[in-house]
Amino acid sequence: MAPRHAASGPEPLGVGPGAKSQHECPRVAVTSRAVANQEDFEVLAMQYAGEIYAHALRLTSDKADAEDLVQETFLKGYRGFAGFESGSNLRAWLYRIATNSYINGYRAKKRRPETRDIDSMGEWALHQRIGGLEKAASDVTPESIVMESITDAAVKAALDALPDDFKQPVLLADVDGFSYREIAEILDIPIGTVMSRLSRGRKRLEVALFSLAVERGLVEPNPEPESVSV
Amino acid sequence: MNCYEIREQIYSYMDGELTLWRMRAVSIHLSECPPCASGMEFKVVLRASVAQRSAEALPSELQGRILALIAAERSGAE
Ligand SMILES: [Zn+2]
Repeated sequence: MAPRHAASGPEPLGVGPGAKSQHECPRVAVTSRAVANQEDFEVLAMQYAGEIYAHALRLTSDKADAEDLVQETFLKGYRGFAGFESGSNLRAWLYRIATNSYINGYRAKKRRPETRDIDSMGEWALHQRIGGLEKAASDVTPESIVMESITDAAVKAALDALPDDFKQPVLLADVDGFSYREIAEILDIPIGTVMSRLSRGRKRLEVALFSLAVERGLVEPNPEPESVSV
Repeated sequence: MNCYEIREQIYSYMDGELTLWRMRAVSIHLSECPPCASGMEFKVVLRASVAQRSAEALPSELQGRILALIAAERSGAE
């Protein structure tokens, strides 16, 4: 893909718009060289405003900051749209602008330090406390009953307990349905890093929510799932 | 593929990020191994739950402000 630099904002991503469903294969890049007409920006971009707002709210954890971030994103998007190639992934491009704006602006002034050392896994209190339960998390039944018993607040708390570096890939994959390659471009990190952070972030989420279910007596910990083998 | 390998790759399977033959291998294992199938069900439910509870509606006045911002930018640029 030949990068075409927009006036502001990142270069467009060469993938068709729209989230992928669970078992769909990753989309193939189909990029036409036609340049987007700035007049079309509202019509094309505003359909993603709700998603971008939700993304911004998850990044900032603050409604006022999220609204500012969304406005900044769309203004930058509009300014950069003249250089945007139609046929590229407008949705991922807007996510990238929002994420970059957050990293460059809002994250710096946040009260809570977000960049914890992602390799110091041992510091994660919950993870330590429940220890070996993560293996059992894969074997609980019936799963839907467990998840239904866990409140929205608990899910949000578990998400918030994830360091930003883990939380963002998890949300981009599981909530927004982006492919690994799209996430790599949105966050500007290598695809291998996306995969390892996704894996660790999801594991932490599982452990957190599963341990909650155990604490509340909803499920019995199942200590030896690996004994069932083929 | 054994159960350990399946668990290492189950999210990639759910994400549709494996090669075709690996997708098939995982699929076959899941159809034959209830513990792994159950493990995936947990992840599917967990993911759906996270997605569902992360939804946020766009404040209606924010949409108006975005459109006004772009309109101002457009007229200012002319
Ligand atoms: Zn198995």
